[in-house]
Amino acid sequence: MISLAGRDILHSWGKFIFTGIGLGLLIGVTFVMAGVYRGMVDDGKALLDNSGADLWVVQQNTLGPYAESSSLNDDLYRTISAMPGVAEVANVTYLTMQVRKEERDVRAMVVGIVPGDRFAAPGWPPYLVAGRYLTRGHYEAVADVATGFVIGDTVRIRRKDFTIVGLTRRMVSSSGDPMIFIPLKDAQEAQFLKDNDATWQSRRRTEANPAFNQPGSSAITQAVIDSQTTNSFVNAILVRLDAHVSQDEMAQRISRWKRLTVYTRAEMEEILLGKLIATSARQISMFLVILAIVSAAIIAFIIYTLTMDKIREIAVLKLIGTRNRTIAAMIMQQALVLGIIGFVIGKITAAFAAPLFPKHVLLLTQDAFIGLFLVLVISALSSVIAIRMALKVDPAEAIGG
Amino acid sequence: MINFKPHKKAVALTIVIVPLLILLGYVVINSGPLAPVKVVTTEVQTKSLQPGLFGIGTVEARYTYTLGHAYAARVKALFVDVGDEVNAGDVLVKLEPIDLEQRLNAKLAAVKAANASIAEAEAKLDFAEAQAERFAQLYKTEAVSADDLAAKQQAAAIARAALVRVQDERDRNEADYQALVVQRQELDLLAPADGIVIARNAEVGSTVPSGQTILELIDPASIWVNVRFDQISAAGLRKGLPATIILRSQQNVQLDGQVARVELKADAITEETLAKVVFAQTPEPLPRIGELTEVHVSLTELEPTLVIPNAAIHRVNAELGVWRVRNGDLQFVPITLGRADLNGDVQVLKGLQDGDAIVLFSERELSARSSIHIVESLVERSE
Amino acid sequence: MSKHGIRIEHLSKRYGSGDTAVDALKDVNMNVAPGEVVGLIGPSGSGKSTLLKSLGAVITPTSGKMTLGEQTIFEQDWKVSDLRALRRDKIGFIFQSPYLIPFLDVVDNVALLPMLAGVSNSEARARALELLTALDVHHRAQAFPSQLSGGEQQRVAIARGLINRPPVILADEPTAPLDSERAMAVIRILNDMAKKFETAIIVVTHDEKIIPTFKRIYHIRDGVTTEEVGEGRLPD
Repeated sequence: MISLAGRDILHSWGKFIFTGIGLGLLIGVTFVMAGVYRGMVDDGKALLDNSGADLWVVQQNTLGPYAESSSLNDDLYRTISAMPGVAEVANVTYLTMQVRKEERDVRAMVVGIVPGDRFAAPGWPPYLVAGRYLTRGHYEAVADVATGFVIGDTVRIRRKDFTIVGLTRRMVSSSGDPMIFIPLKDAQEAQFLKDNDATWQSRRRTEANPAFNQPGSSAITQAVIDSQTTNSFVNAILVRLDAHVSQDEMAQRISRWKRLTVYTRAEMEEILLGKLIATSARQISMFLVILAIVSAAIIAFIIYTLTMDKIREIAVLKLIGTRNRTIAAMIMQQALVLGIIGFVIGKITAAFAAPLFPKHVLLLTQDAFIGLFLVLVISALSSVIAIRMALKVDPAEAIGG
Repeated sequence: MINFKPHKKAVALTIVIVPLLILLGYVVINSGPLAPVKVVTTEVQTKSLQPGLFGIGTVEARYTYTLGHAYAARVKALFVDVGDEVNAGDVLVKLEPIDLEQRLNAKLAAVKAANASIAEAEAKLDFAEAQAERFAQLYKTEAVSADDLAAKQQAAAIARAALVRVQDERDRNEADYQALVVQRQELDLLAPADGIVIARNAEVGSTVPSGQTILELIDPASIWVNVRFDQISAAGLRKGLPATIILRSQQNVQLDGQVARVELKADAITEETLAKVVFAQTPEPLPRIGELTEVHVSLTELEPTLVIPNAAIHRVNAELGVWRVRNGDLQFVPITLGRADLNGDVQVLKGLQDGDAIVLFSERELSARSSIHIVESLVERSE
Repeated sequence: MSKHGIRIEHLSKRYGSGDTAVDALKDVNMNVAPGEVVGLIGPSGSGKSTLLKSLGAVITPTSGKMTLGEQTIFEQDWKVSDLRALRRDKIGFIFQSPYLIPFLDVVDNVALLPMLAGVSNSEARARALELLTALDVHHRAQAFPSQLSGGEQQRVAIARGLINRPPVILADEPTAPLDSERAMAVIRILNDMAKKFETAIIVVTHDEKIIPTFKRIYHIRDGVTTEEVGEGRLPD
């Protein structure tokens, strides 16, 4: 027995390929959409992975540092580093802001990390794609390639100019903004620094306050102004534990005795994925459902049209004694082939389109398999209408009635 | 007879399908977990490092003189303005006392009053002593009782003490008067040393409370930079090391300098070590006091050792190390690190050999199972 | 008449019921011997199509009897369980339009029926080629229907009708789209094939050109058949 479906496809392959391409583009969009979701989740995980921390110590009763603002004194880390079981401790600051390079603005998350010889300290980017890590304590920056900066560029963060010395990849905030790593001290300053006008005004206000500007003791005024323009706060303390220490136990100890809130890796993931991107995720899943329905409708419509086009032939086939099963199989096979062509083209399209998106689009192999399965199921289901119609065709129609 | 040639359409279809499948294969191999990680490798080198320190500081003057007056006064004349050079001993400000004359007169009157009191006390004493003498005679004749004589003698002693008290009162007022006279003469403020006026906080006619600074002087030759170095990377900082100074206002000019002093007191809050760096030559024009500077201090060149770029250092399971490439396979090698310089090179004390190929950059995090694809560069060069 | 072939006795077909009932066929009697080609002539609405559909086993007549060879296939109801197999194996169809399957080439169009019946592809194709050779269209075996001329298409359709060697072939206006020369060629082929394969062929037509070629002609009018002896003038 020859394959009727195969012969039909072979005969009108142009129609099939072009329909398949159209369908493929739609499926490609679906894959990209799923990739956007995966990318969001991955961005969140990348943020946590890249920080290299086991515990996040933040201000008491906050969800910081990513989901809520948190501020801690920058000398608190000393007490934590003295606790047994703690391998390494590092202060870190996060600040999402516009970073300027000449005329261009880039939205970025500026991360303050401890520079210098503390190699691979918590908060450091785990790998580079060019350049080097920060060596100086000030005015150097490691930027993500997504910012578009290159090594040697000078960028301006608040009042200070930073030289890009290294480039990272996939270092993004949970909302997908590329990161720029700068030395902690500069970051603390950047977080606090106002523009010059504001500094002047606040200075004048202080001078006008008789409590701070007593006759004969100008040193007090200076001290007050100095204390106003320093920032001894950080957003979080990243803690890396010794291998054998339990995260939960340590987190409990720190939060109990140091009166701070401590999150473990698992809790942090829950905050990021469960709270920060949950709504976006639902949004995207709605899109996925709609796209799936549209794909199904298109496959159904195409198969229906193709079947309508050969309703006479189907009548003849039935008249000359073709079994219903054979006809149904023919239609379903065609739908499946169309689905597979669409899948292949969709997969290729998605793979080539993904890097063009401004945010991270992560195409997982498992998603591809799920996609293939769904495409086949949808194809099979959407061919049902055409099959029903084909089976209802009266063979008598073939005899000029 | 039954010789079926392949359909032309089948051929055409193959032409379409095969490239599609090849593309799919390409996509699967290059974007899935099977995809090799692109890396850039480098070789472990032997070279000597010149570690350096980097700090930021502000321009300060080593000696700052503040001129003021101990008592409230009115500025009568100001002879200098900001930027003027002055020599030691120059009269810079003339002050005018506000109520000194009145206070002098008051003191003078007090002295006079005291003198009058002395005269009165002397008269009282003479009378009391005369009375005591007379009663002593009368006692001998037993004309008065012993009690009466004792009462007169006591009155004479009281009068003598009263005289001493008013004499002391007179001396005190006299001394106060003399002090005010001296003050009246010291209302000229003189330059304590050669220098430049950097601040003028009062104008002619204004009244300055006691202790307020009227003028600030600095010695331009004593300008230096108060530099803060992060304690983490301040090892090796000592007096006498050469330094280069970059002023924020002149970012392209490198000024030579030298570490003049490393402060014994570090800043405990900011975790910084403080040091003073002097200019080899006082820059012209003078840098602004308080201007931000960047300071590079070059430490002594080290003996040649194995050196790797810091970008190659990774942490795997709490161990620092590098990914060594051997026959296309990755192996994580724990290493012991030594000193580092500011250009991103780090000494390797243990774990690697000269010429070992190691991963410098990678487009993803590596694991021992990663397959790698070595490329020249991971970013488009645009320098 | 030979007892082989097809025999129809008192066949009737009523559509609907009650007052709206229409009797499309009232009393149809036909008897076609193997190797014989008869004409079936009637105006539109005479019950011609209903008769053809009844013969083709796609509609069920109301009453009467149909016998195919020795086998009674209908008497009040169908006497065979698988009408599809009946159509596939016992009845050949040739239509006014050839209704070839456009996505199958000529050989496979013809070989499809035996393939559907489970004959192996190569044997089915061999049989098809043999038949196509007999019909002189074997040189177009690899062509698709759209590449054939009308006459070639009709010959392929005839080949398809004959491939399973059915005892009966129903030909519905097989010459309508053809000019007289080609129409005559088709008629000659039908006659040749009828003889060669011992097949009873019923040709439904109102094509004046070919009516004289039948030896016997059935007229149908208002659901009733009458038999007439034709001229039987076959072209050379």
